[in-house]
Amino acid sequence: MNSEELSQFFSPECFISDLKSTTKNDILSEMVQPLIEMNKIRNEHVLLETLLKRETLGSTGIGKGIAIPHCRTLAISQICVVIGISKSGVDFDSIDKKKVNLFFLIVAPPQEKTNQYLPLLGKIVELVRDNNVRKNLLKTKNFTEFMEIIQG
Amino acid sequence: MSKSQLELLVLYQDVDVMLKEAEEESQKLGFSTKGIDQLKEAVVELSAKIEKKYLRAYERISKRYKHSIAPVKNNTCLGCFAKLPTSYLAQGRSDEKIMTCENCGRILYWID
Repeated sequence: MNSEELSQFFSPECFISDLKSTTKNDILSEMVQPLIEMNKIRNEHVLLETLLKRETLGSTGIGKGIAIPHCRTLAISQICVVIGISKSGVDFDSIDKKKVNLFFLIVAPPQEKTNQYLPLLGKIVELVRDNNVRKNLLKTKNFTEFMEIIQG
Repeated sequence: MSKSQLELLVLYQDVDVMLKEAEEESQKLGFSTKGIDQLKEAVVELSAKIEKKYLRAYERISKRYKHSIAPVKNNTCLGCFAKLPTSYLAQGRSDEKIMTCENCGRILYWID
């Protein structure tokens, strides 16, 4: 997946520049709000419960200030990505125990014709493992700046 | 608010799919899956809330298909792409009733 293909998953409507929540559960609830407003979700409760079950499997806080909560669920009919920034940081049980400032929420239906979910997840993991990209993303203040970094 | 049997079944399938992809997520993407036993326990707890007849139906269908529950869009079962009878529409949109596709037998879940 190249930068152009990756870019198509991001939109200003699904970019939250100042997350208010301070707990894992509340962050997940806040991050699904844009999807609710855009009528992308069939059942909010099922989506949140599946996201929390995924956190039971292992925290999606991958360290260095980044978390990628994700799941497949029938509660949604197409792949959606929501980006969220928390200025103060949130305890997300990350592997390095550090607070998380940048969240990528990725949700996808169980079956997709184009099979993009795991490649998308992999691409975002690869992106944030790059020290320079991660540092720049963590400084992002708005969607335009975010996209400039993504598009390299 | 307590969940309907259909919501519980959908959640059950979501976790089922999650467990199937856990190894790939761990090995290829490096995500932690150290809570796998805890998640399996959660599945057992979840299954206890689902009526046995529905759970049996889910397990029976899962022997034939990768996913026992199929999304429905435009009154079409997206498991087998059969058009569903119009009479299904009114009942199917409610989470209170569990309906199956006349053609493939999958449990139906309206997503539009």
